[in-house]
Amino acid sequence: MRAALVGVAAVALIAAFPDVAHACPVCFDRDDEARLAFLATTGLLTLLPLGLVAGTGWWLRKRAREVEDGAGDPEGRRHPDSEPG
Amino acid sequence: MTAEARIIPFRPRPRRPEKMVSNGVMGMLLVVFVEVMLFAGFISGFLIVKARAVGSVWPPPDQPRLPFERTAVNTSFLILSGIVLLFAHRAYQRGNKSIGLPLMVATVLGAAFVAMQGVEWVALLGEGLTLTSSLYGSLFYTIIGAHAAHAVVAIGLLGWAWLRLQSGRLPREHLSVVALFWYFVVLVWPFLYFQVYL
Repeated sequence: MRAALVGVAAVALIAAFPDVAHACPVCFDRDDEARLAFLATTGLLTLLPLGLVAGTGWWLRKRAREVEDGAGDPEGRRHPDSEPG
Repeated sequence: MTAEARIIPFRPRPRRPEKMVSNGVMGMLLVVFVEVMLFAGFISGFLIVKARAVGSVWPPPDQPRLPFERTAVNTSFLILSGIVLLFAHRAYQRGNKSIGLPLMVATVLGAAFVAMQGVEWVALLGEGLTLTSSLYGSLFYTIIGAHAAHAVVAIGLLGWAWLRLQSGRLPREHLSVVALFWYFVVLVWPFLYFQVYL
């Protein structure tokens, strides 16, 4: 019980710390344009890799279905021009 | 001593499962992902510096303006090059081997884009926009220079693909790898253009 209380107190302290310090430029910039730029770029850099991974997953799944259906023709593997010379 | 014949039953070699994507294309896809994140980082840095400009004046008053209209011509060359390559790539995938001319046209259009960028850079340097003249100049040459370096490498790869095609030794996979890199160079440019030049 005592350990849990210490834990809760520690988390509360950590949670309160940025608010006191006003250290986060996304939340506390005086300039609206700068705050918007921080938010937009944070969103971009967070979502872009997720989007890339999700897009690749979707594409690979589509390719897998094509291969299963017999329509798959991986890059050059069965094309007469595949082999050099 | 007796000779004993053993009959080994015929077992057909198990068929290897088909690959969904060739190694080359997958590798280039990963390279492109890394490059996309690189340019996303560049654009993010640029947007934040722009938003925090002194007095919200951007570009800085003592620095030359970038030639937005003139660069639109370069941009059209680059996009046209991507479209030509897309058609050539698709034709080659379908087995049409006579794509020498469109591949050459795509390469020349890409080279024209880089050459015109070079002319533009010379003019800007003459007007006083250098790598050390301001943060504006530093960001411009870093971002646009990184793109130009990618374009030069991609044009080299397109030229290599054309040479291989002429000698009849261009597998479809190789063209796909080169084309994928060029599509990246073409598609990332409009984002840079509208963010940096506008």
